[in-house]
Amino acid sequence: MLATVRSATLVGVWGQPVSVEVHVADGLPGFSIVGLPDASCREARDRVRAAIVSSKLKWPQKRITVNLAPSDVPKSGAGLDLAIAVGILVAGEQLKAESIADTGVLGQLGLDGSVRPVPGALPLVDAMDHSSVIVAARDSTVAELVARDRVRPVGTLRQLFDALADAAPWPEPPAARQAAPPESEPDLADIAGQPLARWALEVAAAGGHHLLLVGPPGAGKTMLARRLVGVLPDLSPEESLEVTRVHSAAGLALPDGLVTRPPFRAPHHSSSMAAIVGGGTARARPGEVSAATGGVLFLDELGEFAPSVLDALRQPLEEGMIRVARSQGMVEHPARFLLVAAMNPCPCGAGGTVGCRCAPGALARYQRRLSGPFVDRLDLVVRVDRPDPADLLDTAPSTPSAEVAERVAQVRRRAQERGVNCNSELTGADLDLHGPLGRAATEVLRAALAEGRLSARGLRRVRTVARTIRDLDDGGDELRSADVLAALSLRMRLDGAGGLVHG
Amino acid sequence: MAEATAAPIGRYRGVHAAALASLPRATPRRLERLLGRRDPAKVWEKVERGEMAKWVAADDLHDVWRDHARGTDLEALRSRLESLDAWVTTPASAQHPFTITYDIDPAPVLFRRGRMPDPTAPAVAIVGTRRCTPTGRSVAMELGSGLAAAGITVVSGLALGIDGAAHRGALAADGAPVVGVVGSGLDVPYPRGNLDLWDAVADTGTLLGEAPLGAEPEGWRFPARNRLLAALADVVVVVESKRAGGSMHTVEEAIRREVTVMAVPGSVRNPAAAGTNLLLSEGCAPACSTDDVLVALGLATAGAARGAVARDRRIDLDSLDSLQQRLLELLDDGPVSLDVLVLRAAAPVPDVLVAADGLEHLGLLARDGSRVMRA
Repeated sequence: MLATVRSATLVGVWGQPVSVEVHVADGLPGFSIVGLPDASCREARDRVRAAIVSSKLKWPQKRITVNLAPSDVPKSGAGLDLAIAVGILVAGEQLKAESIADTGVLGQLGLDGSVRPVPGALPLVDAMDHSSVIVAARDSTVAELVARDRVRPVGTLRQLFDALADAAPWPEPPAARQAAPPESEPDLADIAGQPLARWALEVAAAGGHHLLLVGPPGAGKTMLARRLVGVLPDLSPEESLEVTRVHSAAGLALPDGLVTRPPFRAPHHSSSMAAIVGGGTARARPGEVSAATGGVLFLDELGEFAPSVLDALRQPLEEGMIRVARSQGMVEHPARFLLVAAMNPCPCGAGGTVGCRCAPGALARYQRRLSGPFVDRLDLVVRVDRPDPADLLDTAPSTPSAEVAERVAQVRRRAQERGVNCNSELTGADLDLHGPLGRAATEVLRAALAEGRLSARGLRRVRTVARTIRDLDDGGDELRSADVLAALSLRMRLDGAGGLVHG
Repeated sequence: MAEATAAPIGRYRGVHAAALASLPRATPRRLERLLGRRDPAKVWEKVERGEMAKWVAADDLHDVWRDHARGTDLEALRSRLESLDAWVTTPASAQHPFTITYDIDPAPVLFRRGRMPDPTAPAVAIVGTRRCTPTGRSVAMELGSGLAAAGITVVSGLALGIDGAAHRGALAADGAPVVGVVGSGLDVPYPRGNLDLWDAVADTGTLLGEAPLGAEPEGWRFPARNRLLAALADVVVVVESKRAGGSMHTVEEAIRREVTVMAVPGSVRNPAAAGTNLLLSEGCAPACSTDDVLVALGLATAGAARGAVARDRRIDLDSLDSLQQRLLELLDDGPVSLDVLVLRAAAPVPDVLVAADGLEHLGLLARDGSRVMRA
């Protein structure tokens, strides 16, 4: 007898509908799964059998064949366990075929018959437009985000069997857990001094410009970077759904409900290429760049990252997404993040100040690890130094994040009125319309180009930064020479000797 | 007879001198005893036959050299010299710089790319540490370009840091040709980062070295290189140097030859200026500008030098806006980071950045790594 159960599998960060076809026939007892299952999917054989037996249900002593259609899409993970088990029960004539008509089934099985949550529940449920979707109880909050009343949470295979056989009512959805208070983000008020870096941070947040902080250890680079998220506005509803989808597919811990605050991802510098850009053999898992989409990707100790990994960031920096090609197909992951990087000026850390112990060659080698095209995409490069306590004593208290966030939100609103998410996305044509250059500003840029201080690519980027600077000031239409000069001053380059120069 | 039919190799490019310099354990002193003012081709024949005078080297070396000489392919050596466009001179040649020939510690064989240095032009060696500050680098460039523009031959060691900066400055001035003295073989550019500089110096000036072709930049070759720097110069200017280091060795060599030594004063907090400040305290003349060096060479008067300095520094302070004037006042206390400047000026960050940029353009403000200072 044949049964077909609807389920879904992950391709990249999207769900792909899958039909689980189960055929139970006379012959030598056996159990085989076809249709490109990966290792963990093929192991479903043992889990499903144990779960059915543990649930006091009958295991048909017949020849069982499971086909996962479409047969040319690789299936991965244990999320199809429950669908296979239900299929066997239907094909073994323990359940009626009508009971699972127009129903999606999603869940992993434990050997004791318990139903466990699956990574990527959000995109998977989203891919199933059936009138009811059966998920693990612990996936119900996530599933309800996209499927509202269609979700049927179950705790065990036996509960599901009883409900489908009309022997018992559907189990109650678990009571919504008390929403955890939002994790407090570190505040900019904790940082005294550092006016230059704080301002650069504000410009970066307001305009979405990528930022590199260069300075000796202990100058507060990491502290500053961690406070960037706190001044970013909440995610829009669409962004929220996208970020939640990616986090779900990446198997990251989700809050109860949608992710509403911009994520902050800080991968370690020993991270592999696959960990950063995404990968894996069968299913290309989203990497850190995708987990950071909508938020901040913080690369601490930038000089220690493998140069190949950094160069792989060029596509996401330019296009806001990353294409991961594998032998079994190509997936596109969203990767729209604000890059914040921090590095020491040289291996010993003291570069440019008195007491650097690095050999000149070692120093140049350290800075050469960053390729030109990569550095060219960093709009703001600023020096951060250890503050001198004497200079901090009689300064005013630092502005708190809330105040900065307000200014940032205002600049972002202005950008949205221009039809982009943030100023860094403005094209040359947009800039001519929304940020015409004053006569003096044109002269400044012409001089910078003539001096070789600026490339053609750099020109557009300087204009977008100048646009953000003007927006932070008073939002006037025209870009003044002061805006352009300030933007140029934030675009420093490593000079190969531990310092920064215009460039 | 087989030997008679082989055409005798010409003396073109000094191939015999190059071959002699390549002999194993051929120190300058041994080469000096071996060569004297004699014709290198004749000396080479003697070495090939093992007929050298007893006092040139110990007996065992005679055999080593003879065997090595018989295994040497002079034709191949000559084509390597040709491909490098290099010439090899000995005191027997008119092209050997006479300041080297008559030096207290002469170099018996010199490899050269580029033109013969002008023996009549005054020469100034600009030396200093490889690990210099940005200030030191810019001072070296300024001195190099100023001296070259004044018709002085700038001599330096083509190393990283001060040496390279002096060469780059002199080349940029498009004035008198420069001389670079290197420690490795002429076909082994070192440091690799200065490869472009090697070629630029050889194209418009002179590249000199004592090491045979293929010689690696071993540590012991650099003190020998430093003595050539001192021997070629009329004045040695040290831009930045630690208390011990190659530049201080060049200074010792200059003192042995009674060559004038000048030093660029530096901050007492700058470890890269500890050596130069020590030289000043020991009585060296300070070199604050090109004119100071010209005065030391007897090419300008002290009054003219002072006048020139004063002219350079005169800038109309009234044309600055109030924030720029305030920043300059704040910088009178000494170099500070931009952060501190912003805090002290109590002005918005973009305003300070723009004002500082304007001052930098006017040459009133300089950046040194993380800090800004009055220029």
